[in-house]
Amino acid sequence: MTLLIKCIHLPFSFSSRMVSPAIALAFLPLLLTLIIRYRYYFVLFYRAVLVRIWKDCVTGLSREERAFQYVLTNSTPGDPDSILDAFDYWCSKVEFISNIGPKKGKILDRLLMEQNPLTVLELGAHCGYSAVRIARALPLGARLYSIEMDQGNAAIAEKIIRLAGFDDDTVELIVNPSDEVIPRLRSDYNLERLDFVFMDHWKKCYLPDLQLLEGYGLLGKGSMIVADNVLFPGAPKFLRYLRKCGLYEWKIHRATLEYSRGIRDGMAELIYQGIK
Amino acid sequence: EREKHKGKRRNGDRQKNERENQRRKRPSKLVQGIREESQSKTERRERSRRRRRRAEHETSIHEGNERERDQTRAKSTKSKKNIKNEKTRKLEGKEDGEAQERSGKGKLKLVCAKNEEKIESGDQLKEKEKALGVKKKKKKRRKKPETSEEGDDEEEVNNDGEVRPELLSPEELEKLKDAVDEKKKLIQSLRGKPWPMKQKLVTLRESQLFVEKYEGALGKGKGRKLYAYKVMMTKKWMKFQRDFENFKTACIPWEMKIKEIESHFGSSVASYFIFLRWMYGINMILFGLTFGLVMVPEALMGRPYGSIPRKTVPRAEEAGAMDFAVLWDFGGYAQYSVLFYGYYNNQRAIGWFKFRMPLSYFLVGVGTVAYSYMVVIRTMARNANESGIGDDNSFNFSWKMFTSWDYLIGNPETADNKFASITTSFKEAILEEQESRKDDNIHLTRFLRVLANFLVLCCLAGSGYLIYFVVRRSQKFALDGLENHTWWERNEVNMVMSLLGMFCPMLFDVISTLENYHPRVALQWQLGRIFALFLGNLYTFIIALMDAINLKRKEEKVVKYNITMWEASLYNGTGSENSTAPPITIHPADVPRGPCWETMVGQEFVRLIISDTMTTYITLLIGDFLRAVLVRFLNHCWCWDLEAGFPSYSEFDVSGNVLGLIFNQGMIWMGAFYAPCLPALNLLRLHVSMYLQCWAVMCCNVPQERVFKASGSNNFYMAMLLVILFLSTLPAIYTIVTIPPSFDCGPFSGKNRMFDVIQETLESDFPAWFSKVFSYASNPGLVLPFILLMVLAIYYLQSTSKSYKEANVELKKKLQMQNEENKKKNKQAALKAQMDLEEARKMYHGRNPSLSAGDREPQFSARGPGPRNGHNGNHGNPRYLPGFRQQSEPRMCRVPSLERH
Repeated sequence: MTLLIKCIHLPFSFSSRMVSPAIALAFLPLLLTLIIRYRYYFVLFYRAVLVRIWKDCVTGLSREERAFQYVLTNSTPGDPDSILDAFDYWCSKVEFISNIGPKKGKILDRLLMEQNPLTVLELGAHCGYSAVRIARALPLGARLYSIEMDQGNAAIAEKIIRLAGFDDDTVELIVNPSDEVIPRLRSDYNLERLDFVFMDHWKKCYLPDLQLLEGYGLLGKGSMIVADNVLFPGAPKFLRYLRKCGLYEWKIHRATLEYSRGIRDGMAELIYQGIK
Repeated sequence: EREKHKGKRRNGDRQKNERENQRRKRPSKLVQGIREESQSKTERRERSRRRRRRAEHETSIHEGNERERDQTRAKSTKSKKNIKNEKTRKLEGKEDGEAQERSGKGKLKLVCAKNEEKIESGDQLKEKEKALGVKKKKKKRRKKPETSEEGDDEEEVNNDGEVRPELLSPEELEKLKDAVDEKKKLIQSLRGKPWPMKQKLVTLRESQLFVEKYEGALGKGKGRKLYAYKVMMTKKWMKFQRDFENFKTACIPWEMKIKEIESHFGSSVASYFIFLRWMYGINMILFGLTFGLVMVPEALMGRPYGSIPRKTVPRAEEAGAMDFAVLWDFGGYAQYSVLFYGYYNNQRAIGWFKFRMPLSYFLVGVGTVAYSYMVVIRTMARNANESGIGDDNSFNFSWKMFTSWDYLIGNPETADNKFASITTSFKEAILEEQESRKDDNIHLTRFLRVLANFLVLCCLAGSGYLIYFVVRRSQKFALDGLENHTWWERNEVNMVMSLLGMFCPMLFDVISTLENYHPRVALQWQLGRIFALFLGNLYTFIIALMDAINLKRKEEKVVKYNITMWEASLYNGTGSENSTAPPITIHPADVPRGPCWETMVGQEFVRLIISDTMTTYITLLIGDFLRAVLVRFLNHCWCWDLEAGFPSYSEFDVSGNVLGLIFNQGMIWMGAFYAPCLPALNLLRLHVSMYLQCWAVMCCNVPQERVFKASGSNNFYMAMLLVILFLSTLPAIYTIVTIPPSFDCGPFSGKNRMFDVIQETLESDFPAWFSKVFSYASNPGLVLPFILLMVLAIYYLQSTSKSYKEANVELKKKLQMQNEENKKKNKQAALKAQMDLEEARKMYHGRNPSLSAGDREPQFSARGPGPRNGHNGNHGNPRYLPGFRQQSEPRMCRVPSLERH
């Protein structure tokens, strides 16, 4: 019994003796600093995780389905611009989906305009936002192969792409993990050379997929590869490989994370040079 | 004979000149020839170059009679060579070259033609160069068309004469001297000449040669030697001066390190290091004063350790006096040594040459502070001057673009540094420009700034209250007795103070992002805020210290009473009648003594400095180095990019470091009177931190994202230093003036006030009249008018300086106006020249048909280098006539000369 009392008493006395309230108060500025400095991350956490869980529980639909519903009701079919706008609005005001976003999207548009690719590979279609974005900027007769691993997301992406008015000839959606599809691209899809590759799937897969592309000889001299989110969440191994291998001429377009102001992110632009 | 020969060869437009030349006297021609030689040296060089090239073709292309003539000429020159001195040989060579060239000049056309037809095997580059050479010559000719031709002729005339300075008449010498002077002038103004670099280099080299050769040759006999000697000595002296300058730069400590840092991190980080170096210099002086005039005399000439109670460790502490923990706390043997106030004896004069120790102690105390004031104010004034002159912001980018590179750099590392520094300076300039062009929503910005300041004030008030609260609590603890409380409670004040000092600046930094200031302004605000915070901390510390002093003084009273009782009992015990007998010898360690508050104050300051230094270094090692190591090596196995993402590498915290330095210095100023070892400690600290921080900044930090120019903030640092200096001398002077010194320790023991030492010296060491004068001078009736006068003088100087400033601004405006006017004038002149050119062209076209067929060709060729070949090709070898060539030359230069305007 006395032991129990002691046990109860001990932490209390311990704490009262250990840390005086004044010293604890001195840590207040640190706390405030951390909160203010990393506020964007807190906000992101809230929007991307907490709100999502809450909405999932309330509506019973997945996040992508909710986004699709919104886009369906708030855009004109056949008009890619309005679909992109609707997506942007939903992602910035309602919930968060890590699409490429309008700002980095503009860079992507510009690169596509400059490159004028005929065969484009997209890794990670997710909801089809970036697929629509790329397809919109493609020249006549070009073809986009979009790879998505998740079945549900792929279904929604398909719907979105068709809603934007792109047919099977322009955009082909392949539902499979990227590391399975890439080896088969040459045999199944008769692809000789990819002019443009856009990576926005799992950040850990950037490097293996790039090496697969190299290994299967799908990249020719002058092929452009654009990888999103290389700084946040970040693909350090990918970047380190770029620095070391010397096969590419590359640079990072610095920007902020999509639909968020304070988090820095970058988009890597690589141009395959081949072995010199 | 020769002249005739030449005259035959030359006809056309040169005839007139020649006739004139022939009429002239020889010596004057000689001198002029020398001058001419200098002027046309480049020209000649080109010619000789061309000649060399042409010599290859000579045998194959040249016609027989021309060749023969050349050969005879060569023979004749060769025969004379042995008697000619170097100069004539040169002239000869030149002449020779000219002759060949003359023959070759016609060949140029020929060569061109051949080239065009691809008959000649010589590459096109050669051909082009030739064309270029012709053009250059034309330019030259155009500049001084007549004189140069005169020169050509004269040089040929001069060939038979010898040019020895001894044989020249004074008149000629004068002219030679003039020529040399002209050369010198040319060398000086060469940089501003609108010539191509190659030509400039050639001209420079040749004129230098010329000057070297003839400078020593001037003067006669002994005078000449003296002159040569003088010239040599001036050269040597100049070289020495340059070397000395280099040596001086090499002697500036840490200059290269700072330059390297500046090139990588920008001037803001470098300004911290420069400030640190400056501080080091000041501390060097302070250290010299205290060490040389106080510590060393006392250690050498004062009474040795253990002779009197104040110089002995008391019996109670003797056991642990050598423990590291005690020494680290500056107790034990460290306390009873020259390092602290209490060790010094109040003996008026020590040693064999009667060193006035107490007076020296006092004067050094006052002198260090006075010196610091002087230096700080002087530096501030100098900085203010510099900033006033050098803000010429016009054409900032052009300056940077075209004048940044230092062509003397020969070391690849330095070149890298220079490259980095130019890049950073561009970044700075661009940022500055952006900042000046920015116009945002002014109301929002103002609101945010007010809000930010409000938040910072709240934070400051909060931290001030917290410290106050903690100090009050600690006083309560002290009354209770410290033994009853835990370590945490005992060290609460220090803990809270250092924690607040660490975290509040971070909060300020975060808040200051609201304000959207230019980084330099933001840095100043940040500095100001941290300054306020540190000041609060410092003053709470001083208040706590004052309380401690008061406690000690109460204790002292008790001890004093006890000691008299103890002494009385001692005497009573030994023998009451025998008072004349020497007192019983008691070991000085056993004598009871007072608490000596001065030593206590000194110890507190030393401890504070030590802990502060430790904190700085440990933060550096953990916050910068460890972080950098972790980021670097954990990055291989981490899920996000550590380098670019969250922790990344740290930036160099300029504001925090500068303030640390300033407050540290403030503490030195405050405590140096009671602990003479403080400047030495500080010197050590600064030295170590120079190396440590230089290393840390280069190895663990990344440059700031927004690099900015910090030249303006130097005076800001100085102003803060001045404020701190004032604020830190305030308590020191207060304690010196108001609190009586302890009765049994220190150089002023036994006196009522510390400054009584001056009066004492005046009375005993100076003649009576001096002290009388001094007492009169210190009469308020004299002092007050004097102060009034000083105030008036300051006011007068202030107003005059203001008027000077205004005048400066006016002058600046005037200069600018003049500049603009000049620009306008130049523009007008340029426009006019253009008009002239147009007109000339029209005229030219109009005149064209009237010219002969032979003349037309070179004129066309002169219009542009492109079509020349084609035209040359149209008429080839057969139409070559020497006369035409000679005639066409001056005209060829005409069009380019007009275009040049």
